[in-house]
Amino acid sequence: MQKDILFTMHEDLERALKKPPEKRRWAMLLDVRKCIGCHACTIACVSENKLPPKLYYRPVYDYERGKYPNVSRTFLPRPCMQCDKPPCVAACPVKGKDGATWKETTGIGAGTVPVNYKKCIGCGKCVPACPYGARTLDPGTYHSDGTPELQKYETMPSYEYLATWPRAGKNLPVGNARKCHFCVHRLANGMLPQCITSCLGRIGYFGDESDPESLIAKVKKASRIQILKARAGTAPRVYYVANEKLEVIYG
Amino acid sequence: MAEQNGTSRREFLKRSALFGCGALAASQLDVARALIARAEAGELTPAELYQLNRLENTLYTVCLNCNTGCGIKVKVVDGVAVKIDGNPYNPWTLHPHLPMTADLAAAAKLDGGICPKGQAGHQGAYDPYRIRKVLKRAGKRGENKWTSVPFHQAVDEIVSGGKLFAHVRGEENRVVTGLKEVCALRDPKVFAEMGDDVAKIRKKKMTVDEFKAKHAANLHLLIDPDHPDFGPKNNQFVYFWGRKKGGRSEFAKRFVDAFGTANAHGHTTVCQGSLYFACKALSEQYGGDGFKDGQKFYWQADTENAEYILFVGSNLFDANYGPPNRSPRMTQRLVDGALKITVVDPRFSKLASRAPGSWVPVKPGTDAAFAMGMTRWIFENKRFDAKYLANANKAAAVADKESTWSNGPWLVKLGKDGEPGGFLRASEIGLRPAELRTDKDGKETSYEFLVVLRDGKPVAFDPNDEKEAVEGALFIDTELPSERGPVKVKSSLQIMREVAAEKTIAQYAEICGIEPNIIEKVAREFTSHGKKVAVDVHRGPAQHTNGFYNISSLMNLNLLVGNFDWTGGMIAASTWNVDGTKTDAQPFSLKKLTPKYPKAFGLSVIRHDAKYDESTIFKGYPAKRNWWPLSSDVYEEILPSIQDAYPYPVKVVYSYMAAATYSLPAGHTNIQALQDLERVPLYFANDITVGPTSLYADYVFPDLHYLERWEMQGSHPNMPVKVQPVRNPVIASPNEVVKVFGEEQPISYEALWLALADRLGLAGFGKDGLAPGQDLTRPDDFYVRLTANVATDGKQPVADASDEELRVFLASRRHLPKNVFDAARWERISGPAWRKVVTVLTRGGRFDTQESSYKGDQVANKYGKLINLYQEKTAKAKDAFTGKHYFGLARYVPIADTLDRDTKALEAGYDLHLITNRDVRMTKSRTITQPYLTEHMPENAILINARDAKRLGLRNGQRVKVVSATNPEGVWDLGNGNKKPMIGKVAVIEGIRPGVITFSLGHGMWGAGATDIVLDGMLYKAAEKRQGGVHANAAMWIDPHLKNTCLIDKVGGSVSFYDTRVKLLLVNT
Repeated sequence: MQKDILFTMHEDLERALKKPPEKRRWAMLLDVRKCIGCHACTIACVSENKLPPKLYYRPVYDYERGKYPNVSRTFLPRPCMQCDKPPCVAACPVKGKDGATWKETTGIGAGTVPVNYKKCIGCGKCVPACPYGARTLDPGTYHSDGTPELQKYETMPSYEYLATWPRAGKNLPVGNARKCHFCVHRLANGMLPQCITSCLGRIGYFGDESDPESLIAKVKKASRIQILKARAGTAPRVYYVANEKLEVIYG
Repeated sequence: MAEQNGTSRREFLKRSALFGCGALAASQLDVARALIARAEAGELTPAELYQLNRLENTLYTVCLNCNTGCGIKVKVVDGVAVKIDGNPYNPWTLHPHLPMTADLAAAAKLDGGICPKGQAGHQGAYDPYRIRKVLKRAGKRGENKWTSVPFHQAVDEIVSGGKLFAHVRGEENRVVTGLKEVCALRDPKVFAEMGDDVAKIRKKKMTVDEFKAKHAANLHLLIDPDHPDFGPKNNQFVYFWGRKKGGRSEFAKRFVDAFGTANAHGHTTVCQGSLYFACKALSEQYGGDGFKDGQKFYWQADTENAEYILFVGSNLFDANYGPPNRSPRMTQRLVDGALKITVVDPRFSKLASRAPGSWVPVKPGTDAAFAMGMTRWIFENKRFDAKYLANANKAAAVADKESTWSNGPWLVKLGKDGEPGGFLRASEIGLRPAELRTDKDGKETSYEFLVVLRDGKPVAFDPNDEKEAVEGALFIDTELPSERGPVKVKSSLQIMREVAAEKTIAQYAEICGIEPNIIEKVAREFTSHGKKVAVDVHRGPAQHTNGFYNISSLMNLNLLVGNFDWTGGMIAASTWNVDGTKTDAQPFSLKKLTPKYPKAFGLSVIRHDAKYDESTIFKGYPAKRNWWPLSSDVYEEILPSIQDAYPYPVKVVYSYMAAATYSLPAGHTNIQALQDLERVPLYFANDITVGPTSLYADYVFPDLHYLERWEMQGSHPNMPVKVQPVRNPVIASPNEVVKVFGEEQPISYEALWLALADRLGLAGFGKDGLAPGQDLTRPDDFYVRLTANVATDGKQPVADASDEELRVFLASRRHLPKNVFDAARWERISGPAWRKVVTVLTRGGRFDTQESSYKGDQVANKYGKLINLYQEKTAKAKDAFTGKHYFGLARYVPIADTLDRDTKALEAGYDLHLITNRDVRMTKSRTITQPYLTEHMPENAILINARDAKRLGLRNGQRVKVVSATNPEGVWDLGNGNKKPMIGKVAVIEGIRPGVITFSLGHGMWGAGATDIVLDGMLYKAAEKRQGGVHANAAMWIDPHLKNTCLIDKVGGSVSFYDTRVKLLLVNT
């Protein structure tokens, strides 16, 4: 009996965490042929990262094409691509390793594009700079807005970037740019990114692609890979497998 | 990123203070001190910082945001449920799942996958509109004005009755009958004697006058002495429910039996009753004189091993007990080509979208035509499993390594016009006389043998004979001599072949609105994979007026290939036993722990398990309303029957977790019924908010949210693993704490039953309620015992929890108040099973391993019995409207009203066929409270094909009103002059059959925070997020004969969800 890929990737992750950070390369591969459009990833991410209403790190787009009865439908999840050449970093006025956002090269999050909430000035310049729309400013709203009472679960901290961010008033990251970070705080605890572990169609692969024994490396090798907006030259760390040409439907 | 570590000492202390349960050991204290120091220095490691993978913050229970009932892992910080993921011990969320023996620490780090509703579950618990105290109506029913009242005052009022609503204008002098008066017949001896005599009246062995003479002293205890078959006044208490699972079912049954009412009804027919009751007909077992013990259940495909599945009306990537459990078993296999599927559905579902070329968009309601076309092709091309179908009994099946067999070769007697009736009994042709047998209850019965024809000669047989294998010829059409002259007979298969041949494949295809070659192509594929195929059906084909026959014809396809119990074929659910009656090792047999209550007698208010022509109100045909010899839990019949006082008026109605007004087609008819003070004199509800139905109650009692309570979730037929997921409290309840039987507890469903039982003085509750020394005063008294039964079922019980597991069990429940979780009490209740109970609760239930779920080419948990191709019991039942017998075999039947009239008059002028669908983000009435879901899907839409949109001049996003012949105004009449128009936005798509429109269920809500509510004089405004979208059920047709109920399937009980024609009127905004 084959293992659930969640279990296999969990083992891969434990192995990867034993390597020095600079020797591993976090990557994500999404086989959208298996995506059932359930939005579990989107909502799980909201819950894990305490995202405010309608702010999504990982939306799933739904494209219907063709004419009745020859119809097709593609579900396309879109996390942050954790680009190796991130336009958002270039657009950020708070520069440098000690700045608001950068391409991480060390530590558990090496390879991702983090935001330092304490440095981010909330100017919003990075938002339109991202060709994928992966950044959003946190408006400081709550899910229970418009009801008689704020609920305690909404004020409990998120653990993004290995810190605690209790949500109250203008507490950080309210006003900040927010984005997907491959759940670095979960990786550090030997857990898969939330979107991967919540995936009902098991479309998501995550791990250290430099490890040829890892599932993501094997699947990547065996598949025809696509990336989104290849012409933008962003060098994404998120790969796709699809029957259709994604550049036709997404760009 | 260590410098970004933001944990302050205070926060850390706050969270750490509760880690230990009781005193910390010295070594642990040292560790804690070191942690605090490092927290101050910002030096915590990620593992120390992150709270959501801690063993002590991880609890396992079971979701109920829909009835898929996935195992969940609830992450609790400071007593607050902050995150929900999948339980890796539970086969719904990880495939294969972790064995029960897997380490708790490893499991805490491994999250299984659950759907967005499950992810949002805690928002249902932390809902600002939840009620925490008992509410009593302060205005008219449905005005949504309430006063909170003490729990015991409400209970007293319901029990005692009186002028309870004198404060409401118009009701100053209205006297309400309380439950005490309704619970009139208490003497068990009288109960039993009257019950027996009512049975005699039914069978015409006693007249009503004889009954009245014999029971003269007790006639005042009856609803109507002239109609003793109505039963005692006790039947005037009607209890109905929406979603109720194991455990709570047993709890309620205890009260209902003690009270002695025949009126306890579930909601099955609003979901897919005709699927359940057709499969009940398929599973009826021959007992020597007739058929009995049919199971209200169904089969589904063994998804992970099938090579080909024909899905009909299944939408399992959005609903259908499917997304988390079935998707991982399918998606990779679909991509690899290891699994092929066909999806018969008017709508291009997500399921169809994952398999290019799989979509067959038939017209709604023509499923049986598709199946019968396939059946015809399979017969004509001899693609059926002749070997399987020849087996007439168990011994023959076993010889072929089959665990099931059909009645395909059995001989059926024909009536004078050639119509099939009952099976031929061997004694009727002098082949073998009946013999005297003793059944399992020790009762002597006359056992008649059945007959097949082999090599031209009749052979008598017993279908359950394990020794003498009997096979029969498949296609028989002959006459057999008997003393009374020749008997015309046909084999079941012969009749099936003839019925299938009533139309050509081209005619069937025309009915479906598809090309004939599609039926042929699908039939060929279906018969090209041996036993690794399945016809997997769900709600779609069931919820029509012809639902019973749609399901029967689709299920019969499975019989033609004999795929039941085979790996990759059709499988049935299997669960660890709850009530302790399975093995001697189980410590708490409910049979032994329950007093011998008298058996309720008399007609139920929905007339189920009853025959019209045996009743004292038989007045020829058609009957006023339907009678249900084959079905039960007929949801759409409850309130309208009460409104009609047919067969009798009732006094008190109680609903639990029910939203009949919202969920039912033409649900507004139920609102009218509930507003009828004369016919529904007292109505109390149990709900977690004032919902779309409880809004019409006189009293609403707060229930516990599913994260706060117990239940035994059971399984679904697509799950090959034997399981019993155990829902257990993982967070505290906000409900008012009350004292019942001297025990403090938050108000709950159970607390209400207990308090009512106490006030009514019913046996089997309170001190020594279960047995001497065994009290029933709190929910856990009951459910801890059931959990012990689950833990000890089977050949081997679960292992005892280790000391470490016990520590984790206690520590992870440190936030629960003693009135919910009391370890010492639970240990005392469990006795020697205590550590096993802990093992089950620390895993969220009991789950067999993946490996032990299969045995060779078959599933380990087999159905293993006769499956009826021809349904004798159905053929013997009579239609209450025509007086004719139902047809005993699957066939295509057109859509019709209760009097078998076509629907042309209702269709005229309405050009669009209305269906509904589910979106994975919504469950009918219970998810609107959860903003993760409503923010992501603020409203639903009316999906329409681009061709129709063009024809009607409609554009994407325009708003339209849905109107039909029975709701030309296009509104929900919510009562008190409040009308909610059925207006939604149009979404123009290609993925739906032209002429058909659909909307997803769950939006267009009222109540549940979507409507302003006045409580204790304070106005609480509705939440805008709960008001989005449209709910078009009120447009669904009302039956022209019944007049206050939707169209129904009068055989299988289903409501008609997908037969109505509507038109869309553009709304100018």
